[in-house]
Amino acid sequence: MMTKEQYIESLRKLHMNLWMFGKKIENPVDDPVIRPSLNSFAATYELAEDPQYEDLMTATSHISGKKINRFTHMHQSTDDLIKKVKMQRLLGQKTAACFQRCVGMDAMNAVFSSTYEIDEACGTKYHENFVKFLSRVQDEDLAVDGAMTDVKGDRGLAPSKQADPDLFLHVVERTADGVYVTGAKAHQTGFVNSHEVLVMPTIAMREGDEDYAISFAVPTDAEGITLIYGRQSCDTRKLEEYNDIDVGNKVYGGHEVLVIFDRVFVPNDRIFLNGEVQFAGMIVERFAGYHRQSYGGCKVGVGDVLIGATALAVEMAGAAKASHVKDKLIEMTHLNETLYCCGIACSSQGSKTKSGNYLIDLLLANVCKQNVTRFPYDIARLAQDLAGGAMVTLPSEADFRHPELHGYIDKYFRGVDSVPTEDRMRVLRLIENMTMGTAAVGYLPESMHGAGSPQAQRIMISRQSNMAMKKELAKKIARIS
Amino acid sequence: MLQCTVKFCGGCNPRYDRGDAYRQIREALSGTAQFSLPEAGQHYDVLLILRGCTGCEYLYENIPAAHRLVCTCTGDMDGIIKKVREIASRPINTTKED
Repeated sequence: MMTKEQYIESLRKLHMNLWMFGKKIENPVDDPVIRPSLNSFAATYELAEDPQYEDLMTATSHISGKKINRFTHMHQSTDDLIKKVKMQRLLGQKTAACFQRCVGMDAMNAVFSSTYEIDEACGTKYHENFVKFLSRVQDEDLAVDGAMTDVKGDRGLAPSKQADPDLFLHVVERTADGVYVTGAKAHQTGFVNSHEVLVMPTIAMREGDEDYAISFAVPTDAEGITLIYGRQSCDTRKLEEYNDIDVGNKVYGGHEVLVIFDRVFVPNDRIFLNGEVQFAGMIVERFAGYHRQSYGGCKVGVGDVLIGATALAVEMAGAAKASHVKDKLIEMTHLNETLYCCGIACSSQGSKTKSGNYLIDLLLANVCKQNVTRFPYDIARLAQDLAGGAMVTLPSEADFRHPELHGYIDKYFRGVDSVPTEDRMRVLRLIENMTMGTAAVGYLPESMHGAGSPQAQRIMISRQSNMAMKKELAKKIARIS
Repeated sequence: MLQCTVKFCGGCNPRYDRGDAYRQIREALSGTAQFSLPEAGQHYDVLLILRGCTGCEYLYENIPAAHRLVCTCTGDMDGIIKKVREIASRPINTTKED
């Protein structure tokens, strides 16, 4: 496995065509806007080295028998699925941000089982290709971005019916050695911190969409890939002279980019689906299921930090003993642990696929994610309720450090006298960061739309609800023949 | 001196600081037991399992040890220290496995 330091150094060797704020970024590793997201990703390497966390952070490869980072593991049991969720909660607690590596793990597990079944039905060699790719990822402890979401253009039209054919990523040329692809993947979490990108189709497809039913892996700095960095609320606070208190979370963060593929070459042995439209939906369903499970871990860990910050804020204000305050903290905890229950439940009810890895219970995973589209917003609302208005009206750190203003700010923003005003400012800025600043991207809209927007889960819940059986149960009790 | 090893649970949501608990137990037993991380092929007198909560009841059977002591909260620490001292006080070759 790579150490944290080796991982960071390995990223320096990549030459991505990355753009941000209208400028090409030559050194993303040390860029102050990007670095917090790298630190979060690096935590997945750092914690794997620590004996206190290795039981969750590492696993044994079913291919090599060696110890590997769990983020590169194919789940071999329901116990592995449960440990995955626990690992994600742990990392959420340590970073209070999106640590980005789950998407690759979920993509790899989905493509692993799907390629096995595609080969079985179509006589292709995709699983062999994928296992070769996976072996390298495990042996070298690589970071993989899972890329599913196309930009999609007119949502009412199929990929092959769009006015612009590139609005879904597709094959533009086939050669004896491989294919050339063009298109774009949106909202790509952690791409800049990844070595490889594993591309999957974004929706179930039908006849006529063959060029769009494509799955493959290429290096993140492959020729023809351009990245445009997504900006976040309050992101330029990281560039200010005083960039400690006001950023809320100085060390950790997350990021998304738009990934543009302009005639990117994919060699044959890196292709995992190529025209078999009937299997695009399988990959989508399995990836979405795994990723909806993931949110029952990572967001819970981030929620733990937000609940803790809120409890600190009310203590610092001298309001901790008020009954409504206690009750709201209980409600936040109840909501957070409910999400965790869902993550654990869909994992414990998982089952073995034909390929040998384990898949979560898809109904429960979709219920999990449906709750995630709501509860973090409720938790954030309660956090803002208890934090009070100072969370958004605090003076800047620059004012706090100014000799003429420091005394006023220190005096008038103090709560409980024994607590330094600076500590109170720090915890309020953390709540701001998580509920409306850079980290809110990961905690709120990502909870809403990541792994699929709410309606996507409702469709899956409807498909899996087994309504016929429920009606029969009711008929029997009501004595209806 | 007893040869002891330690195995932490993964630490997803620990109710106490497992690292600090380990430090305190190790210090309290500094003259009685020598702790190290598990190594393949090694047999230990005691395996100390530090769980952050009462879930995940793994006993880590792949780590060979005569005694397995489980800590799930800070309240368990005194009992563990007492137990290790008691094991250490037994005559050599007469310690039975717990």
